[in-house]
Amino acid sequence: MDELDLLKKDWNKDKSEFKNYSDSDIYTMLHKKSSSIVKTLFYISIAELVFWLLASILPYYSSSTFQEKLEASYANPLFLGLSILSYLVILIFIYLLYKSYKAISSTDNAKKLMENILKTRKVIKYYVIYNLIMIFLSIPLSLYFEYNENQEFHQQIAEFSTNQMLVLYGFVVVVAGVFLILLWLFYRLIYGILLKRLNRNYVEIKKLEV
Amino acid sequence: MNKELEHSFVELLQKHQNIVHKVCRLYTNNTDAHNDLFQEITIQLWRAYPKFRGDSKFSTWMYRVGLNTAITLYRKSKRRITTQEFDSVEFKIKSEEYDDTEEQQLKVLYKALHQLNDIEKALVFLYLEDKDYREISKTLGISEVNARVKMNRVKKKLKTILNP
Repeated sequence: MDELDLLKKDWNKDKSEFKNYSDSDIYTMLHKKSSSIVKTLFYISIAELVFWLLASILPYYSSSTFQEKLEASYANPLFLGLSILSYLVILIFIYLLYKSYKAISSTDNAKKLMENILKTRKVIKYYVIYNLIMIFLSIPLSLYFEYNENQEFHQQIAEFSTNQMLVLYGFVVVVAGVFLILLWLFYRLIYGILLKRLNRNYVEIKKLEV
Repeated sequence: MNKELEHSFVELLQKHQNIVHKVCRLYTNNTDAHNDLFQEITIQLWRAYPKFRGDSKFSTWMYRVGLNTAITLYRKSKRRITTQEFDSVEFKIKSEEYDDTEEQQLKVLYKALHQLNDIEKALVFLYLEDKDYREISKTLGISEVNARVKMNRVKKKLKTILNP
């Protein structure tokens, strides 16, 4: 007899070794918290949005000098444009996240479900990459603004030799680069741990198609 | 309305809970993990229940949500350190015509099942539950031909484990 037939015979016997949950057991279970990866992913994306929002809003409220400076810099059309763009991007990401979460359904087939979760993870990933790029760009940009707007700073820089300028730029780029790489590795680690199993199973199911 | 929905759901799940237990048995290897996964599948079933239209059988619908939870959604719980692993003997109930070689074979087979990967387990599970290849392919999102090919490979794999 085929091994699986033997197993099937045993499998479909009336098993009594399982605990038989009563109605009230099941009622209690319904109201417990889920520990699904979609829920965790959802919390991560909310934390992501809140973090980056706070990072852009908090300095404004915490220092009045910064507040004045910021208000003054809105006169610059480039800065104003960038600010509007960044808020627009946040709105777009909220919309995309909402859409991709709505698409996740446990009643889809296994492959579709995995794809939809991975899509959601991608949306979060792009949002993170976008923020990292913005940070990276904002560093030379803020140097440039300071140079134009801040007389004192302008004076100091103007006295720098070419070599000193190069060292300054090199230093800024390296510090920013290391900071961003660390942040990126941190994200990779979080998602790597959370989605390890999903990724493995998705690869496995994709392999069946080749 | 909500109470009514809850009541009908609990009644159905209570009746068909064996399906969930079987999924848990395949994907976990100790009692705590089993109960944890059971809990999560119950939550996922309940969440999806308003969308259940009854055009498929409740049990068929359960296979899909149950397997999806086990393969994809479930995040292993942290509290699972000191529990003892099941002995595969536990899976086996004493059959009336006690056959030693068959008993031994089953023991090895159940152990072999646990060595399969998550997708292979899903295939075997649906096969053991007497689902045809059309349904297996629809549940997993792969083609019927691929389901068949993969199933044959899994059978061979089990055979090798059993008769090395």
